[in-house]
Amino acid sequence: MKETIRNTTLADRLLFLFLVSLSVAGIFLARDALSQGSDVIIEVDGKPAYTLPLNVSRLLSVDGPYGPTVVEIEGGKVRVKETHCRNQICVREGWVSRGVIVCLPNKLVIMVGGGNKRQEQGIDAITG
Amino acid sequence: MMMLKTYYCFFLFICLLLGSCSSNKLSTYRKSRALMDTFVTVTVVADSQEAADKAIEWAFEVIGKYGNLINFFSDTSELSAINRSAGIHEVRVSPETLDTIDRAVFVSEKSGGAFDPTIGPEIKLWDFIKKVKPSDLEIRSNLPLVNYKNIVIDKGKSTVFLKKKNMLLDLGGIAKGYAADLAVQALKQKGIASGLVAIAGDIKAFGLKPDNKPWVVGIKNPRQKSSDDEIIAKVSLSDKAISTSGDYERYFIMDGQRFHHLLVPATGQPANSCQSVSVIADKGVMTDGFDNAIFILGPEKGLELAREMGLDAMIIDAEGTIHTTPGLQGKLIIERNH
Repeated sequence: MKETIRNTTLADRLLFLFLVSLSVAGIFLARDALSQGSDVIIEVDGKPAYTLPLNVSRLLSVDGPYGPTVVEIEGGKVRVKETHCRNQICVREGWVSRGVIVCLPNKLVIMVGGGNKRQEQGIDAITG
Repeated sequence: MMMLKTYYCFFLFICLLLGSCSSNKLSTYRKSRALMDTFVTVTVVADSQEAADKAIEWAFEVIGKYGNLINFFSDTSELSAINRSAGIHEVRVSPETLDTIDRAVFVSEKSGGAFDPTIGPEIKLWDFIKKVKPSDLEIRSNLPLVNYKNIVIDKGKSTVFLKKKNMLLDLGGIAKGYAADLAVQALKQKGIASGLVAIAGDIKAFGLKPDNKPWVVGIKNPRQKSSDDEIIAKVSLSDKAISTSGDYERYFIMDGQRFHHLLVPATGQPANSCQSVSVIADKGVMTDGFDNAIFILGPEKGLELAREMGLDAMIIDAEGTIHTTPGLQGKLIIERNH
């Protein structure tokens, strides 16, 4: 082994170094390119407020102009359990495993796995 | 020695190659915000997060300001001022509001009244959340208030007047597409050459993605079985807008019948010959207006109108059959049938 190393030229070592660097860079590039796993991202008034794993059951209360909104995560799905706005549209959405739940009066946006599914399908936006 | 030079040259070449790829690399940046009472997502291709943020925030500002002008529910909007002054006096409005109303009237004329922005008095009778269906008498009594021909636009004075008292102009069927056009214009002003603006289902794409491919838009399955987005078709777009109207957006089922928000202006009742209509054209204001009109007209007359106006359309009729204009052949990928 030592003999082999001793027999290498400077160019061999540079090439080896380059290939190692390339592999390390590959890890970071792949991490960016591949799915980050399923997270629930909650935005309040256009700003990210919470990022939570979808596989851990949890109840979270998020404050908004109409009072607290209770977000529930369970069994790989998320829903708005309780809110105090008039229409309750977000509550009626029910459990969602991929997609977006929006509570406009509370300026609350809950995003779950939607981006990943779209990426898988090669889709940039959805109409309808 | 020769070998060393070869290795060295190879190494240098690779470094230069990687270096050239990493500098000024274009990436896709996306941000979402609740605006115009809906969910707005702006995607841009830029060489830095900073440039992208600056452009996206500007687009949000433009959408927000425009949304405030034409908000049906806000007492301070120009649209509310027009509605309050119906039958009384004309109202001076901004160029954006005037232009939106002018284009709404254009779509109404071209569709023979299938699209009518004065549908407000009929829409307000329904509550799709509380499942309130108005009586036939209530619907009939408001019908005389629905007629786009009673909108008087004075472009010289920049005023709008509704001839009859209690008329209600509702720009919900066209404003989101118009806002998408404005947002794309705003992004271009900030030096963005490629991007995508999605105001709910009204989408406008411009330029190409960093991989030099067009943007891909999925069309929602109107009869999806869960709350998750299910796609029925995909279409590739560049420098085009797409809008979809469906009977699944605001609706309720009563006695086995579906009641939704896309009302026939002549009867005040929900149109029943389509599940969804997607329209593709150069401008968002046209796709947003004409998807409503084609939905009301139904597949046969709708396709005729699309051809006449030079629009592309995909219509899913009440039975779930897909109809398309010839222009969409080869561009549309149907994901699944149902």
